[in-house]
Amino acid sequence: MGRMAIVDGIRTPFVKAGTLFEDIPAQKLGAICVRELLERTSLDPELVDEVILGSVCQPPDAPNIARVVSLYSGIPQSKRAYTVNRNCASGLEAVTSACEKIETGSDEIVIAGGTESMSSIPLLFGKEITKTLMRLGKARSFFEKLHILSGIRPSHLKPVPALALGLTDPVCGLNMGATAENLAKEFAISRREQDEMALQSHAKALAARMKLREEIVPVMTGTGFKTLVEDDNGPRENQSLESLARLRPYFDRVSGSVTIGNSCQITDGACGLLVMREEKAKAMGYEPLGYIRAFAYAGLDPARMGLGPAYVIPAALKKAGLALKDMDLVEINEAFASQVIASLKMLDSRKFAEEHLFAPETVGGIDTAKLNVNGSGISLGHPVGATGSRLILGTLNEMRRRNSKFSIVSLCVGGGQGGAVVLER
Amino acid sequence: MSALNLVLKDTDAILEIDQPGSKVNVLNAETMAELSAILDELEKKAGAGLKTLVITSKKKGIFIAGADIKEIEVIDSSERAAGLAREGQEIFNRLAALDLVTVAAINGVCMGGGFELALACRHRVASFSDKVKIGLPEVNLGIMPGWGGTQRLPRLAGLMRALNMIMSSQIISGKDALKAGVVDRLFPEDALVEGAAEYAGQLAAGTAGEKRKPKRGLFQVFLEDTLPGRSLMFAQAEKNAYKKTKGFYPAPLKALEVIKGTYGGPLEEGLLAERLGFGELAVTEVSRNLIKVFFLSEKFKKYPWVEKGTETARIKKCAVAGAGIMGGGIAQLISSRDIPVRLKDINYDALKQALKTAAGIFKSALKRRKLDKYQIEYKMGLISPTITYQGFKNSDLVVEAVVEDLGIKRKVFEELEKNTRPDTVIVSNTSSLTIEKIGENAANKERIAGLHFFNPVNRMPLVEVIRTEHTSAKTLATVVDFSRRLGKTVIVVKDVPGFLVNRILVSYLNEAAFLIEEGMAMDKIDSIACAFGMPMGPIELIDEVGVDVGCKVAKILETAYGERMRVSAVLDGIKKKGLLGKKAKKGFYLYSGSGKTPNPEIYGLAGIPAKKHISDETALKRLIYGMINESARCLEENVAESPQVVDIGMIMGAGFPPFRGGVWRYAESVGLASIVEDLRALEKEFGSARFAPSAYLIKAAEEQGKPV
Repeated sequence: MGRMAIVDGIRTPFVKAGTLFEDIPAQKLGAICVRELLERTSLDPELVDEVILGSVCQPPDAPNIARVVSLYSGIPQSKRAYTVNRNCASGLEAVTSACEKIETGSDEIVIAGGTESMSSIPLLFGKEITKTLMRLGKARSFFEKLHILSGIRPSHLKPVPALALGLTDPVCGLNMGATAENLAKEFAISRREQDEMALQSHAKALAARMKLREEIVPVMTGTGFKTLVEDDNGPRENQSLESLARLRPYFDRVSGSVTIGNSCQITDGACGLLVMREEKAKAMGYEPLGYIRAFAYAGLDPARMGLGPAYVIPAALKKAGLALKDMDLVEINEAFASQVIASLKMLDSRKFAEEHLFAPETVGGIDTAKLNVNGSGISLGHPVGATGSRLILGTLNEMRRRNSKFSIVSLCVGGGQGGAVVLER
Repeated sequence: MSALNLVLKDTDAILEIDQPGSKVNVLNAETMAELSAILDELEKKAGAGLKTLVITSKKKGIFIAGADIKEIEVIDSSERAAGLAREGQEIFNRLAALDLVTVAAINGVCMGGGFELALACRHRVASFSDKVKIGLPEVNLGIMPGWGGTQRLPRLAGLMRALNMIMSSQIISGKDALKAGVVDRLFPEDALVEGAAEYAGQLAAGTAGEKRKPKRGLFQVFLEDTLPGRSLMFAQAEKNAYKKTKGFYPAPLKALEVIKGTYGGPLEEGLLAERLGFGELAVTEVSRNLIKVFFLSEKFKKYPWVEKGTETARIKKCAVAGAGIMGGGIAQLISSRDIPVRLKDINYDALKQALKTAAGIFKSALKRRKLDKYQIEYKMGLISPTITYQGFKNSDLVVEAVVEDLGIKRKVFEELEKNTRPDTVIVSNTSSLTIEKIGENAANKERIAGLHFFNPVNRMPLVEVIRTEHTSAKTLATVVDFSRRLGKTVIVVKDVPGFLVNRILVSYLNEAAFLIEEGMAMDKIDSIACAFGMPMGPIELIDEVGVDVGCKVAKILETAYGERMRVSAVLDGIKKKGLLGKKAKKGFYLYSGSGKTPNPEIYGLAGIPAKKHISDETALKRLIYGMINESARCLEENVAESPQVVDIGMIMGAGFPPFRGGVWRYAESVGLASIVEDLRALEKEFGSARFAPSAYLIKAAEEQGKPV
């Protein structure tokens, strides 16, 4: 059986939540990508068997958002679509699901990707008021209604941001930032180390701006479509260590070191990739961007979820039959600088290798020149449903530019998982 | 064979309408006589145990399309017309008076006389189908309802709804009809007759429950139920009708007069006023012309421009090159029909503007409740903007809509050839160049044709499809088919500069400029044209189109046709001064706010002589006869295959007044011989080739003169 090809891909600019894309719902962001992908690959929509998209906070008005995106993109109604949610790795899961679907023969041609509008995540009313309003709807007499209404307390009316709920682990009760603080403390990672990684991230993203345009579809938006968005707006010009150092720790105000400056940004964005077997792609006359060699997911302690890459990278490499040193590029998505640094330390730790991998040697050290070369979550942002797909798209494009052979992309996943994909060209 | 079939079963009767040998049901004299005979029978049975009657149609999607227009067309006196109306009124009065529970089961189109029949039933029900369309569109034909519509509809649905439906031909869906109280119930399409029968039974037994009343707001109650409210509403309706008809179309005002004069009075008096009004209108020239135009437009909706059975390609996705006013408009139109479209320009500024315009058009459709917000989101998203040719390879049809410049169009055509599949149909939306020239260097000319839209694309009902010598039958059939999917009426014309409509129109616009040159005031010229019925004066129109655009087109036509299309010096002068028209707020007129005033600069431009007196009549003749003469040349050269094509083209493409019946029909009504004579006189006076009557016109005049 041949390899799974990523024929081509495209993404929207990644835009900080609450800015340029705040009025574009996730289904539209997704549709812009999928449609553009169809156009750029000249693919007849009738040939698309399935659209699989990652989305973490699906808009209430677009359940099974992949289906909505599929129809918005002009793909025929007779085609199929579903949405996947592996939290922060949803965009990765969409692609690996596509591989599995194709592997089993269910599908031949799949558009996989992810979409997230974190600007649009709603405020929620609490359980109490929800229950009250539902009872009110069922009430018959005026007095019954009055009685129910009289039960409402001011505290019931306080809205709860769904975003905050989503970022809090329901098992360990910790906010994602708090899990990052855990790792910073456990691995004794200094504030300065984290800030330096953040600074680097912005610098790399800015330097890559023109390269990244190759993978971005410009979007016209705003009143009268007057604003043309061609670039990610996360990367900060003139970022300095001093200004990063001035930020207060956000999750542990007193003794913490994780700030919003060394954490990923909350972002709107979408990404789409065209997936099919190598033979199929070649038969259709495509020159694929690259191939999926292997992938893996791993589970771990939710309170240390940021270590996901450390657990999953060796697993994926093993499946690929390759070693970390074979990788020309490595992506460990920056959810938090502390979590990336902790993962790097783990990968190079003999103790970890012995205890968790039952291996005599460490997985290996990673040359920072190979790591997240064009910026990552801290600078580009992390629209949770889409990031996994962006990692594959961006890395394959960079591999093409460098003419490299192998790379690995990975993310940590809220709830205590890791996901990784080994790419080859 | 009869059109009506009465099925009797115990206490219930079903009257099925099924006109033999026809796709639709119309109420012609024969059918009405049959109905009268059936009423005789029903009147007897009503006293003898029969309780209910359901009237329905056996045609799918059609209840009754209306009265037979062909019978109205031939009426020669208002007395006869009123008499015909009276016969129908009497039959419907008997239907209304039947001692039965009568229910009209409306399964589809229910218009004019058909709706009046339904109104004469005690109750109406309809199916959920989208095909249900209910209305009284008589005024579109220059007449008004004559079989009780002006009486029974206000009684049933209230004045406001009735005025909308009768004066403005508002067509309502089944859902709207339910809300308006026009129908009592809706049933699934396949269960309509059973449902109607069951409902009739319940009504007879008194178990049907309450009848829905129309939902009315407080203001509507004031307007309909109080004396000052009603006079306010009538005054407003009158004002609107004047504004809309500009006094050219008497029907809506006549209908209003009848309703206003009879509302609240006894039915018999109302019916009398109605048939007198109908009689008056039925013999007007306006009505005759509107009926002709109606038949013409029906004919061209389906006109077989290509041999039957010619293969057509399925257009699943389109691309448009050029996102200017036309390109953007075309993309919006395509997306509005749920066809994905890729829109390309060389920069994002044009694309931004095109998206904004498209969104604006969709928004106004939302406001008029033609589309809902979900449809708009979807349709708007089908326009995919780009600055590359990516996405042209998977397009089945590509429209070229870049600037009107032969060099640029040729270059774009070359690029299109490289960036499309060999089977992609390529059409140009040029307005004045020939397709042959644009595609001169193309390797495959069979897949090239012209597809000329008019501005504004979403509102103008016509397209000219241009077939070159090389255009294959399949390409032509595909383009015609595609244009009809876009909801347009197609005329196929020959590949000459300006094609049909613009060629004729330019001769008219040019003449207007000559009139200015000779010292006539521009607002005077415009008002003469408007008084003739043109929707806009020629000078206003040049400003609207843009002086630069108009000048370019006129120059191309001058090059092609020589002296008789010589561009007036005024036009050139104003363009050189940079007075580009409405878009620049300065052209022939100066625009400020919503008003406009003649631009005094213009008169100084072409060394205009001391004002020579030109009578209104002469000015009008010069404007209109120029068009007629150019039409004759087009017919002579076979640019259009028949005078009917000229008529429909000029009405739908250039706004030539429908009540005049079209350019050619108007010419015939004036008398071709007198036109030839006038043209000769003008030719002598000006020594200009542009007035020389064409050979075709002279010949046609001779033929018209001959006794038939």
